Amino acid sequence: MTRLGRQIAVGPTDNTSDQRTPRKRLRLIPAAARDSFVPVVPARFRANPTEWDLTRIAPDRPRATGVPIEVKGTIRTDNGTPLRGALVEIWNANHHGRYRHIEDNSGLELDENFFGMGRVLTDDDGNYRFWTISPGAYLARADIGRWRPKHIHLSISGGPARLITQMYFPGEPNNTTDPMAILMGDAFERNIGRLYDTPDIDVDQGFQFDIVIGGRNASYFE
Amino acid sequence: MTGEPGRNMLPPTNEDTCGPYFPIYFRDPALEDLTRVDSGVVGGPAGKHIILRGRVFDRHGNLAHGVVMEFWQANAKGVYRNPSQANHPDLDPWFNGYGRLRTGTGAYTFRTIRPGASEGRAPNITITLFSDGINRVVTQMFFDGEAANATDPLLSSLDEEDRERLIARHDGRTVDGAEVYLFDIVMAGENETPFFDDFES
Ligand SMILES: [Fe+3]
Repeated sequence: MTRLGRQIAVGPTDNTSDQRTPRKRLRLIPAAARDSFVPVVPARFRANPTEWDLTRIAPDRPRATGVPIEVKGTIRTDNGTPLRGALVEIWNANHHGRYRHIEDNSGLELDENFFGMGRVLTDDDGNYRFWTISPGAYLARADIGRWRPKHIHLSISGGPARLITQMYFPGEPNNTTDPMAILMGDAFERNIGRLYDTPDIDVDQGFQFDIVIGGRNASYFE
Repeated sequence: MTGEPGRNMLPPTNEDTCGPYFPIYFRDPALEDLTRVDSGVVGGPAGKHIILRGRVFDRHGNLAHGVVMEFWQANAKGVYRNPSQANHPDLDPWFNGYGRLRTGTGAYTFRTIRPGASEGRAPNITITLFSDGINRVVTQMFFDGEAANATDPLLSSLDEEDRERLIARHDGRTVDGAEVYLFDIVMAGENETPFFDDFES
């Protein structure tokens, strides 16, 4: 039998997915070319030491509007090895569902105390932690009333590990209609942060989001 | 390669679309020009400077705006800076081989050095795309006029039409002597660029 590569599915009700999803099956990489397909991201990034707290633009500035939350977790490769010194780039919409991005033309309210972008590095045990404002859901398709569920974007790069993903929130009604969540099927559960109590720190809720990097581009993991 | 699948493997977190708003704030000019050296510093990577330029299109032939592109290549001597080559004598201390940019419009320009041929391969640059609507897709580009293209195992795995889609066209040189190569990417539909993966269906 001939070996075939994957056919990527188009996200239902997602126009951009329809415009950009390759229609042909992905081609399998010949073994002789395999190694060349795994980028190794140099550890040259510097995260600003105050960027872990996205609830303020700077330590001496007021807190942004909305619910302050903590997100933390451990990043591992799929054989369980902690990913040390990896860069985690974080971005999320403000309380009203608006990004501080020049191409966000939603017209939703900006919050002058919320920047919405930050970077942290994982420690020697692969742990990361940041504070942010719980993002608002935003309308992705006004014509059919489809909302993007609350989510935080995370981009992880460090050595041969590379992942762009999103953390979702438990129990959100829009989770079930999200095109990408639908494509994930049961595995969507892995992308939902787990609520924990934060009685002793200056945030209202905590979400544990452990991340496993594996599957594709897994060469060079020990 | 990684350990045998199924043996104590943790289930991976799903990739997700990077959405339309990947922060421009995260851009790093040093990752958009791999020949760049901080001012006042003596040094720089070995090799011929090239400019890779092109456009990313969607299924309707429109420019795909807001795409994050990542590049990965060997140095001028064909050596990749990866863990298996950590002690290679031909590593270039001034060259990591990893680049990244976000194109607002769908048109891009990436400055780098021309990669050498690594063992058994024609010179190439791996290009990863992240975008709204999709998870990452990966391809490789090659240089026109390279004799080694004829025997490259990746190019050889494709039919004639797809091979052509992976070859960048030489388009003269800039005043400062960089050779310009044009490479367009079609994400979907007619003339679709071949993308590559490890997973069988
Ligand atoms: Fe988003």
